[in-house]
Amino acid sequence: MALLEESFQKRAPVAGRFRRSMLLPLGSAVLVIVAWQVLCAMMRIPPILLPPPSAVWRVLQSNYAILLDEALPTATESVLSFVIASALGVALAVSLSFSAWMREALYPNIVMFQLIPKIALAPLFIVWLGVGEKTSTVVAVFIAFFPVVVSSATGLVSTKPETLQLCRSLAASEWQVFRMVRFPYAMPFIFAGMKVGATMTMIGVIVGEFITAQQGLGYIIMFAAGAGETATVLAAIVLLCVIGLALYVVVELAERAVRHWYGGQMPVGTVI
Amino acid sequence: MSAESAPAPTVAPPAGALVLGPSLRGLRPMVLPVATAAAMLLFWQFAAALLRVPAVILPTPAEIGSELWQALPALIGNAMPTTRDTLAAFFAATILGVGLAVAIGYSPLLRDTLYPNLVVLQLVPKVALAPLFVIWLGIGSSSRVAFAGFVSFFPVVIAAGVGFAGTDPAVLRLCRSLTASDWRCFVLVRFPFALPAIFSGMKVAMTMAVIGVVIGEFISSQAGLGFYILNAGSRLNTAEVFAALVVLCVLGVALYGLVALAERAVRRVYSRH
Repeated sequence: MALLEESFQKRAPVAGRFRRSMLLPLGSAVLVIVAWQVLCAMMRIPPILLPPPSAVWRVLQSNYAILLDEALPTATESVLSFVIASALGVALAVSLSFSAWMREALYPNIVMFQLIPKIALAPLFIVWLGVGEKTSTVVAVFIAFFPVVVSSATGLVSTKPETLQLCRSLAASEWQVFRMVRFPYAMPFIFAGMKVGATMTMIGVIVGEFITAQQGLGYIIMFAAGAGETATVLAAIVLLCVIGLALYVVVELAERAVRHWYGGQMPVGTVI
Repeated sequence: MSAESAPAPTVAPPAGALVLGPSLRGLRPMVLPVATAAAMLLFWQFAAALLRVPAVILPTPAEIGSELWQALPALIGNAMPTTRDTLAAFFAATILGVGLAVAIGYSPLLRDTLYPNLVVLQLVPKVALAPLFVIWLGIGSSSRVAFAGFVSFFPVVIAAGVGFAGTDPAVLRLCRSLTASDWRCFVLVRFPFALPAIFSGMKVAMTMAVIGVVIGEFISSQAGLGFYILNAGSRLNTAEVFAALVVLCVLGVALYGLVALAERAVRRVYSRH
């Protein structure tokens, strides 16, 4: 992504770049919504199939109390499971980075787990934990955990060998090397993993609510879809998008803060 | 990794490596993870038997194995629709994704307009749209293919878009000064340069396609592994759930392996030029 942004920046002067890079995407999004509205009205598409944006807005406006009530458990589950998955993932990655044995024994298995469709385990969590918030939270943790581990572990072992040799010749302790070199160098990787983890968390929470929950936006979506109230489905999706984007933006801001803390000297990481 | 660092005299070999002979040391990266996995399965077997964990909560690997053996014909029968839907969704997503990325690569206007929206769409939880696809396309396999294709489309566009944007400008300038046509430029330079990025997007897309099809089967299907898992779970037949999960994992890893193999084959073709 960085490459693409770079080629963006070469292209236009600052003021024009801003106008172009902000206005064009926003304008086209607005255009799509207007076209959607006009098409719905002109073709007389039944609202069960595709309600116009104005109908979705009306649902948001008139039922916002109910929707926010259901959005609250979804938001808390998402934040909670994201925090747990990140903490566990980074902790495991750190312990992997300290022991070559553990790394060689566990890492390939973790990568394997990364590939398999873990979402399919969701029904098992119902058997183990019953129907409720706990299940969707644990499903989300389980799904979001793996990208964080894989990305963080990659970052922690990919410190430049020259830097490590310098540390060793300066007689730095293992802990000092970790605190001052390995960990800061791994930061971009850790955050890349956490960003993937944030989107995976949302998937886990929603699927958990689809199949188990008695509450939450996922439940509202299933319920409204079953009742043919497509406008309500879309309204709930709008709120889900807001929660998902907010979570992502928080991670992005945290990354900027950490980068600032470390003096902006962090190398650019790659998304796994 | 240890095989590469072993010859360097400054690096002390890890303690365990001394036990293994030099010929075995190369096998360590293979043997160690497999042994760990086997040890975990053994531990699971004995812990479940010793603690008398009820089979509903956690069946032993032996029970899962025998269930897998018994239900294998049914499982393979259910794996068929899942595989078919996944492949259809994956190919649709790849073709559309790479196509759109090519268009974005050629038109700066299109790129500035669409790319930020695509990135935002990549971030929002598209899984929530699954029930809408059922409303639009019914409970047949077309709704699952469309949904899985929709979910796996975004990683391909974004990765391929990055790949096309990352072509070395010096090489492109060389092409232009050699008066290569746009088409030749694309076939000989842009596309090969973007291939690693395209394949990394395709790998993500394959895992997303499996996830999309399974979620689709959770909410609407009458057949397929997702349906089988949900059905067995609601009958509290946990061993059967695990047996279906084993098949699904094999399927997921095999499909991912196919993409990885395709990448190697394509790379070999291009390295010959």
